[in-house]
Amino acid sequence: MKNEVRRRLLYGGPQRPFYAVKRNSSLGKRRRRGGVKSRSFEKRGQHPGTRGRQAEARLATRLVRAPAMLKCGMGGSQVKVFGKAIQALSRVSDELWLDPSEKGLALRSVNSCRSAYGCVLFSPVFFQQYQWSTSVKMNDNDTISNLNCKLGMKSILPIFKCLNSLERNVESCKIFTRSDKCKVVIQFFCRHGIKRTHNVCFQESQPLQVIFEKSTCSNTLMIQPRVLAEAIVLFTSSQEEVTLAVTPFNVCIKSSNEESMDLTSSVHSEMFVGPDEFDFFQIGVDTEITFCFKELKGMLIFSEATHAPISIHFDFPGKPMALSIDDMLLEANFILATLADEPSRASSPQSLCLSQKRKRSDLIRSNSKAGKNVTSKALEHISRKAAPKRLCPNETLTDISALENCGSPPLKRVSGDVGEVPASSVRRAEEVLASPCLRKFSCMFFGAVSSDQHFSHPFDSLATASDSEEDVNYGSFSTF
Amino acid sequence: MTSAVLKCCPVDVTVNRSLSTGKLHRVELLLQTKLALGTLDVLLSKSFLCARAVGVSNMIAKLAKTCTLRISPDKLNFILSDKLASGGVSMWCELEQENFFSEFQMEGISAANNEIYLELTSENLSRALKTAQNARALKIKLTNKHYPCLTVSIELLSVSSSSRIVTHDIPVKVIPRRLWKDLQEPTVPDSDVSIYLPVLKTMKSVVEKMKNISNHLIIEANLNGELNLKIETELVCVTTHFKDLGNPPLASENASQARNPEQMAEVHIDIRKLLQFLAGQQANPTKAVCNIVNNKIVHFDLLHEDVSLQYFIPALS
Repeated sequence: MKNEVRRRLLYGGPQRPFYAVKRNSSLGKRRRRGGVKSRSFEKRGQHPGTRGRQAEARLATRLVRAPAMLKCGMGGSQVKVFGKAIQALSRVSDELWLDPSEKGLALRSVNSCRSAYGCVLFSPVFFQQYQWSTSVKMNDNDTISNLNCKLGMKSILPIFKCLNSLERNVESCKIFTRSDKCKVVIQFFCRHGIKRTHNVCFQESQPLQVIFEKSTCSNTLMIQPRVLAEAIVLFTSSQEEVTLAVTPFNVCIKSSNEESMDLTSSVHSEMFVGPDEFDFFQIGVDTEITFCFKELKGMLIFSEATHAPISIHFDFPGKPMALSIDDMLLEANFILATLADEPSRASSPQSLCLSQKRKRSDLIRSNSKAGKNVTSKALEHISRKAAPKRLCPNETLTDISALENCGSPPLKRVSGDVGEVPASSVRRAEEVLASPCLRKFSCMFFGAVSSDQHFSHPFDSLATASDSEEDVNYGSFSTF
Repeated sequence: MTSAVLKCCPVDVTVNRSLSTGKLHRVELLLQTKLALGTLDVLLSKSFLCARAVGVSNMIAKLAKTCTLRISPDKLNFILSDKLASGGVSMWCELEQENFFSEFQMEGISAANNEIYLELTSENLSRALKTAQNARALKIKLTNKHYPCLTVSIELLSVSSSSRIVTHDIPVKVIPRRLWKDLQEPTVPDSDVSIYLPVLKTMKSVVEKMKNISNHLIIEANLNGELNLKIETELVCVTTHFKDLGNPPLASENASQARNPEQMAEVHIDIRKLLQFLAGQQANPTKAVCNIVNNKIVHFDLLHEDVSLQYFIPALS
């Protein structure tokens, strides 16, 4: 007992009167588990202070609840697909959620402007071994909480780089994490008896989930990824946006021409693809949608690994579009915002009247509960702008941080079901950038929120929203 | 009267400016632009021709960021002669239109001046033509949609054996007549020494390593087939000797008699310019000659199949 008290003080944790469990045995168990004497290199980003916190957390959880847990294992060839999924999601944003559920392990990523969302769901059949559980809090209100695990892309992406060499050398890979430990352990069992262990710290954060009804889109195309890849070569990396124009007779992929862009210096490219190149071609309404190029490239990277055709579901400009891959073992969805037409623009008349109204709602729902008891649900109707490259990564723009927190779902209780949510405000924000060209975008928010002074629309409402991304619970707004 | 207006008026009208003026004035400006543009309509209908066009555009893109394309009834030239911007380097690349184009129609801005001078970013052209590597056919047209551009239309054979059309509009700037005199073929200087170059790949790897030591390179050669590349710094002096290169036959007999074959003619140049030149050469040329004017300029004269390239690097002052 005395020894333990002394050790406790060293780690700097507060005094506890009573230990339910002896710490020695658990420490020993950890050592034995890692006992294969061959070369193993671990990323130990821990400093002495965390030990104490971990111990406390462990103790606390033992007293209070069983932690949410994920344990899965996969073979060498699946590691490549998994790694490609992570690489594709890295194009969306710098953060990744690991979200296990009974449907499988979902990797989710949302970009900072909330204009692109990626989710790759690996079904349990994909893995050689898949176990997961939710945590149950036994003292408080019996709340079931999932493994809310958010990883930085910078930590996890280097682990899965050099996928070709991984595929050759790795025989199996195990991923293990628990919500009370603050790290995800990824172990590669390689040839020649080498075991590589990576410990990646994660943050507790509820994953975001977009619900998008693909079946309700009036236009659906299914195409082999090779064709899209050929189209992509046309566009330079300086092109941010790509326009997809469809008619029942052909599909045109072209570089988007914005009036504010410097027309005299950039190349405008177009590629026409006939209907016979598509595996599935259904066009309900002639439209032209413009979306960000980066995420399309990300999707193509992933599709190379799966060899499955890509489905594109879209409607009219302004409504998000979905790129998806549906396989037996996995399902990948990238939901991208499209540029909404300004009503004053005469260039695309067929989309004018539609951009203001929404028949269907796109929802962001904070995935707070894994089980059926969803006690708080926030429903939001969000139709987003296409994110220009300049805006997205720059999180210090206060306009954007205000925007993103408006878009972030608060955990508000909304009784009943998903109702029709008409878009009630159209906001135009003028971007404050060095370039003299004005970049206009319109965002529609359920409960439009921004204290942007350029805002001129009468239906605005100001709302306070916190600046930190973590405070998803604390944004408050009025609903229309 | 009309022709005088044509010559004086600036052809480079930007879109915004033209739209902001009154309607009549805008029509006039556009009309003048159109007339001063000339027309160009070419077709490359064989895939090997398309591949060679791609090769040429890649080479030009590596040699010069912005260059002038001169189109005349029998040939095409890529010109870089903006001495200030490129630090004194100038380039003249010539290709015969018969060897490249299956159909070639052009009309200059007027009957007397049957040429078109366009300024474009060479990278745009090379990137646009990249898709044409395995194309079935390639069409290039000079158009004026909202602003003058070269419309490149590529017909690709897709996997499902249906052809796909890809179009690129490359914005160009039409160079007015009064500036044409600066863009004429440079005169080849009377060189002190003329020598065949060694394998360019070897030369490039040598120069690349030398670049790390110093920016100041000395090229010297003599009429005995010897070429040296020298770097001299306070700490170290590196020389690479190339021997038995051969010298092309001299133009005038007097020069050969007067000059001692062992005597070296040298030029001090910026190594980065030489490296840029060497980087642009993907394949080994059919003929490669280096002419040195002592302490003045070095002139490279290459021939890639039927594309001739001349590159001038002046001496460091």
